[in-house]
Amino acid sequence: MVANKTRLLLKGIRVVDFSWVQAGPWVGRFFANYGAEVIRIESTLRMDWARNVPGDPEVLNGKHHKGALFTNVNCDKLGITLNLKHPKAIEIARKLIAISDVVIDNFTADVMENLGLGYADLIKIKPDIIALSMPVFGKKGPYRNFGGYGNAIWGMAGLDSLSGNPGQPLTTSIALADFGPNPTHATIALLAALHYRHRTGKGQFIELAQLESTACWLGPSVLDYTVNRRIATGHGNSSLYAAPHGVYRCMGDDRWCAIAVQTEQEWVSFCKAIGKQELIDDFRFSSLAKRKGNEDQLDWIIEAWAIERTPEEVMTRLQDAGVAAGVVETGEDLLLHDQQAKHREYFVTLDHPDGKAFCENTTIAFSKTPARVRRPGPVMGQDNEYVYKEILGITEEEINQCYVDGVFD
Amino acid sequence: MKTENRALDDIHVLDIAGPIGVYTTKLMADLGADVIRIEQPGGDPMRSIGPFIEDRTQPENSLFFIHYNTGKKSITLNIETEDGSKIFKKLVENVDVIVESFSPGFMERIGLGYAVLRKINPRLILTSVTAFGQTGPYKEFKANDLIGQAMGGILHSLGPVEGPPTALGGNQAYHMASAYAAIGTLIALANRDVTSKGRWVDISMQAAMIRMTERITLDYWLYNQNRKRIGGLEFYRGIRVSFPCRDGEVFCSALGGAGAEAMLQWMESEGMAGDLRDEKYANILKAMQGIPLAKGSQQKTTGSFASSLMSMLNYPEELLIHIEDVWQAFLMTHTKEELFIGAQQRGVRLLPINDVRGVCEDKVLNDRAFFTDIAYPELGMVSRDTGAPYRLSETPWQVIRRAPFIGEHNHEIYQKELGLSDNDIKRLTDAHVI
Repeated sequence: MVANKTRLLLKGIRVVDFSWVQAGPWVGRFFANYGAEVIRIESTLRMDWARNVPGDPEVLNGKHHKGALFTNVNCDKLGITLNLKHPKAIEIARKLIAISDVVIDNFTADVMENLGLGYADLIKIKPDIIALSMPVFGKKGPYRNFGGYGNAIWGMAGLDSLSGNPGQPLTTSIALADFGPNPTHATIALLAALHYRHRTGKGQFIELAQLESTACWLGPSVLDYTVNRRIATGHGNSSLYAAPHGVYRCMGDDRWCAIAVQTEQEWVSFCKAIGKQELIDDFRFSSLAKRKGNEDQLDWIIEAWAIERTPEEVMTRLQDAGVAAGVVETGEDLLLHDQQAKHREYFVTLDHPDGKAFCENTTIAFSKTPARVRRPGPVMGQDNEYVYKEILGITEEEINQCYVDGVFD
Repeated sequence: MKTENRALDDIHVLDIAGPIGVYTTKLMADLGADVIRIEQPGGDPMRSIGPFIEDRTQPENSLFFIHYNTGKKSITLNIETEDGSKIFKKLVENVDVIVESFSPGFMERIGLGYAVLRKINPRLILTSVTAFGQTGPYKEFKANDLIGQAMGGILHSLGPVEGPPTALGGNQAYHMASAYAAIGTLIALANRDVTSKGRWVDISMQAAMIRMTERITLDYWLYNQNRKRIGGLEFYRGIRVSFPCRDGEVFCSALGGAGAEAMLQWMESEGMAGDLRDEKYANILKAMQGIPLAKGSQQKTTGSFASSLMSMLNYPEELLIHIEDVWQAFLMTHTKEELFIGAQQRGVRLLPINDVRGVCEDKVLNDRAFFTDIAYPELGMVSRDTGAPYRLSETPWQVIRRAPFIGEHNHEIYQKELGLSDNDIKRLTDAHVI
């Protein structure tokens, strides 16, 4: 899949992105990757924390290191610097918003309002603007100035309690709320609002309270509580609806394969594939209920088989037999060994001022308009010239004066 | 139910997706789309997934089905039959979106591939959601949510240090796949608004799941090292972030990191600060708060919060453990709610850790009227479920109808809309087409 001069799907849409770190910027990235012009607003006086992750030197071994997290998160976006404490900067921001479609922020409740850039201010500049805010607890109410980070939000929204073994919830060390529910829901809401505006000419304000958005991924467990008064717990890697179903250690250091046998027919194929036809008629395992009842014994048998094989061999042998199985992949597996990742080009390296930058590619494939990330995330102020001169038509003199006055700090 | 302005209310959708894609059309229905769920005659296989109302395992009682199919209509149709396929094509003439999750090539084999469908309706957006996508060496692989987490790269990092890697519960890989499918569909729609052309949208659950991995692949590319499981420790600083309190657990590193001074004052006012004001803790506390130390001290700082905390870890481990012990003792004297409010008012981002009951009883969520009640009088229940993931000012999220019963809208769709006669319906029913 190679991007060419084919028109990108969201070309013509302009987004002003005030958000920072992770949950917010992934939203703008969806738009940028598919052709929208997304302008990230930053300031040297208040650096995005991701620009120091990792905190290594700029270049190591020809690879862009310092802030590589930022660079990946912000692929395809333009970057400008604006010191929002300066009144001239606010004026420039307003000029930009006047010719844009969408404004995004993930600040706590009153920040944009205090800058004179709240929704009530924005509709005076552009009546059909679509503005998205992503406060943790909503913009109104006694909790609106409270905050939280992605992994804590996941825990407060109850998601950790669904994972792990019964009575031992899993505290995840990855900020899943920032990559899962929050940026996807925000993007969905924005796209829906854009469609509505196309039909009616009306913009609107979208509030995504991160705690609420995250809690939506509790799925049916909420009904199980409100209807049945049952509190969901994790169940390790097992399933109520399939056995065998789990993660099995394979040959090698810390290598594992996941296996899920989902039908009676697959159970028969599974037994043949692992060379244990005798299990098919073994009365301990002859139905799902029996396999669940004797799951420890079943897993013990599978573990003894799996430990002597690499996870790739387990996966291939079982998939050939029509049984769901997959290597529990590491970064190394994904980058070097996964054949699907190669075919679909999940990862690319792009030229960057500090050498080569690593970027996750676009994830959604479209007919006739394949998309590929084109540019790594910007260095600080990389597009000041382009945005201020070409898009806003500010004169050379005025731009110089702004630099002198600290407007572009 | 009251209807207001709806963002997608000009959009008609056919939903034939399984668990991997069923959330996609719920998202669209709750934003106003008219969604018809097509079930096999006799009922969708998804209706045998629990939990069930009062554990009564009848197809209409599946809370899994109910949760993911609010806002939708239901018709029964077997699209693998000749008559069923004809009816499906008739429906396609007037829809904007189809969401399906059959294995790649299945729709083509039954004569309903994208090439056929777009001749019928050039404006159609066909969204196909599968584990690995429509092309590639793994496209025919069988998978479920567990396999999606495994091959998407997140599972290896989850769970106890010694293993086994332990998956996220609650079908989160399916949620990711479905959410990405909604995004892809709406991107295609935004483009169709401008070009009037339809599109085939190809969603890979594996590709979506890679987005959950944050730095896992980046770190391998930079350092040739794989991320290790660290149990429940916080990744960036390698320190404990969850602690028990009087009635549960809270999420917050010892003393609240940057807010340590404010938290210490609170603890002191209740006689729970122990000996933490002793000189030997002074530098650690400063490091926690990101305060630069006096010249000549060990701390290396770039001024960033994260690096000051990393330097804190250069101090003797027993001091850090003692600080955590004093912190833990203080937490045990307060409830989750007291700690949440008290810490946040002092600028510390402490959050309670909730189980599902805790979420349903959470003060913030209830004050915000987050939960939504939908009545099922035929089933003798009122369901209280999660509500809006977002609040749109002009076109609010809303569940416009309860989840449907099997074939509940057969009459409306087949007879009123398609004009089939009573005899047609009888014939098709007897032939198990509908």
